[in-house]
Amino acid sequence: MKRLGKATAAAGVAATLALTGCSGQSLEGDGDKAQGTITLKVAFWGDMGLDKLKAQYEAAHPNIKIVLNSGEYNAQHEDLQKKIVAGTGAPDISAIDEGFIVQFRSQADKFVNFMDKGGAEYESKYLPWKWQESMSTDGKQIGLGTDVGGLAMCYRSDLFKAAGLPTDRDAVSKLWNNWDDFINVGKQYTAKTHKKFVDSGTNMFNPVLAQQPVGFFDTGEKLQMDGGPKVAFDVSMKALDAGISANLASFQPNWDQGFKKDQFAVLACPAWMLGHIQDTAPDQAGKWDIASIPGGGGNWGGSWWTIPAQGKNIDAAADFVKWMVAPEQQIEVFKTVGNLPSQPALYKDPAVLDYKKEFMSNAPTGQIFAATAENLKPQYLGKKAGPTRVAVENVITQVQEGKLKSADAWAVAVKEAEKAANS
Amino acid sequence: MSLTQLRPSPQHAAPPPKQSRAKLLLYRFDTKATPYVFIAPFFVLFAIFGLFPIVYNAVVSLRTWKLDEPDKDGWAGFANFTKLLTDSDFWNALYNTFGIFVLSTVPQLLLALIIANLLNRKLRGQSFWRIGILLPYLTPVVASTLVFSVFFARDNGMANWFLSLVGYGQEQPLDWRAEKWSSWIAIATMVNWKWIGYNALLYLSAMQTIPKDVYEAAAVDGAGPWRQLWRITVPMIQPVVVFTVILSTIGGLQLFNEPMMFDQNPQSATGGSAHQFQTIAQLIYKVGWKDLNLGYAAAMSWALFLIILIVAGINAQLTKRIGGDR
Repeated sequence: MKRLGKATAAAGVAATLALTGCSGQSLEGDGDKAQGTITLKVAFWGDMGLDKLKAQYEAAHPNIKIVLNSGEYNAQHEDLQKKIVAGTGAPDISAIDEGFIVQFRSQADKFVNFMDKGGAEYESKYLPWKWQESMSTDGKQIGLGTDVGGLAMCYRSDLFKAAGLPTDRDAVSKLWNNWDDFINVGKQYTAKTHKKFVDSGTNMFNPVLAQQPVGFFDTGEKLQMDGGPKVAFDVSMKALDAGISANLASFQPNWDQGFKKDQFAVLACPAWMLGHIQDTAPDQAGKWDIASIPGGGGNWGGSWWTIPAQGKNIDAAADFVKWMVAPEQQIEVFKTVGNLPSQPALYKDPAVLDYKKEFMSNAPTGQIFAATAENLKPQYLGKKAGPTRVAVENVITQVQEGKLKSADAWAVAVKEAEKAANS
Repeated sequence: MSLTQLRPSPQHAAPPPKQSRAKLLLYRFDTKATPYVFIAPFFVLFAIFGLFPIVYNAVVSLRTWKLDEPDKDGWAGFANFTKLLTDSDFWNALYNTFGIFVLSTVPQLLLALIIANLLNRKLRGQSFWRIGILLPYLTPVVASTLVFSVFFARDNGMANWFLSLVGYGQEQPLDWRAEKWSSWIAIATMVNWKWIGYNALLYLSAMQTIPKDVYEAAAVDGAGPWRQLWRITVPMIQPVVVFTVILSTIGGLQLFNEPMMFDQNPQSATGGSAHQFQTIAQLIYKVGWKDLNLGYAAAMSWALFLIILIVAGINAQLTKRIGGDR
């Protein structure tokens, strides 16, 4: 569930600046240690559906007290990094998102190795690529996966109707088998309504890149821009040239406003995005629906539960993490906030398969997202994938700002990516 | 019996010289050391929170310390500093920092001076005005920057609405973040808004110590208000002017919050799509916590420290000269 809290990114950044100490708010204070209770601090961002689970676990384990600390997406990861450098102060359990897992995976010594905690038996339960992503090169497993972000395409059925496009989710899926079709639909929409179709060029680039077999880096950590990145970049340039992009930066105030002002009609959405749409535009219930994404599949975000090695109650923390990733709890979280579990066995579970999301016009989100997650082609994330992505996104933004011609942009993107990869 | 009891025993007779020696030592300690004890808290705190980080930073700047490559840790010599000299990002950030610094400091101090001069007259509701100009300073920088960030939005932003009133940007609204000049103006505006009142109050308090008869004499000699401001007021409040110049130099060169939160994508800390408004402090943050290269970030911090020392020194000298020669 990447970037769920990012709408408040600015405020969060500020919070990090203001207090270099704790970020986010503790829902409860420290427990009394007098009765030998163990307090476990759990850090995450947005809403991971833990409130109910916390009460349940505490009732079953009277000696454990769980303190939930939900903060802002970036601030939480940054805070974790600082505490790891400092060697003290980290939470007992911390969620880490896909966007940061590479960074922490290369500091595997600072985390509890789940292989030492009986984690090996979990390998077969997880999607293989999910298991691999949180594993260091020397075979240490720093986290147990919680959710994945298989991609679908959310669309506004009311705006589609106004543009004379089909509104039924199957018919919409048939409109776009590939990204060229998708851009053509966008052109039709824009010609008819004089409104923009997609939110931004970067939100075209990222899903297309996620669908490529090789991303920015190959498994030898070598930057290779001519494969996947080139394909994705060309699609985004085509969309910008077609004039169907509203050029709004994701998770920023302008973007959130764009929802309310109907500035775009489609949005590439992983399971965790549903919560964001619902929070941002609660009055648009029933106006959104979900179709399949052009090109099929792709992953965006998804998290792991990790245990920083500096903690004092490592064993209790490991027990709690194992409990959280158990099937019952994963299904509970799916129902509460919509995060799709990363264990394929659950995709066959009736509780997931039969689930319908009311806000999204009763779309069977369980079925849709389970199908995308299962068909996913895994992609290796290089060490510098994060900074490299930012660098290329910036080049796309320059084109959106009119500072760079789309024809010249690729050369600049390659140069910037190389710089970021060598930073 | 009572007499024998009152008489001091030989055992009691011995202590007095000892006691007086102790007293002497105490007295010496009191006169020589007590002042240092009293000022010690400051220096202890300064050593912990000021001196230690500076020294430690210098040590880190000579090391290779990449968080995502722990196996490469070790001494790097001056490699980080030599890298700095050829890093186009650093020079660009330096350029941006100075650009925004000039755009914010010069109008800020001039306006503060003029406002202070206005407030130094007999006005109705004097305290109201004086407290009023301090309000921006009291607003948390995060809150005000968020508001400004919306104010300077491309779509539906208030700044663009004002521009549209005078007929600009009807077809293509101005994207404040896109270009160097526009983003610099936007950021400088935030800084100016926040600090003008603060500086004005400092100037005002200094102005109130200037004797009235100087102005009366000048008025008799035919000096107008403008001439009085520049020939009498400014030279007479010169120490405060030097102080504000140094302070705003330090603040301006460390500019971080405003460009950080003005960014479309604050998480990246790149200061715009082409680093058009990335300041040095922001670059240090990016190199340290986004690229995870702490050694290089420390080298940049030290470079910034030296730059601030030099620029603040030059500015102070210039200001002194301006005030003193007139």
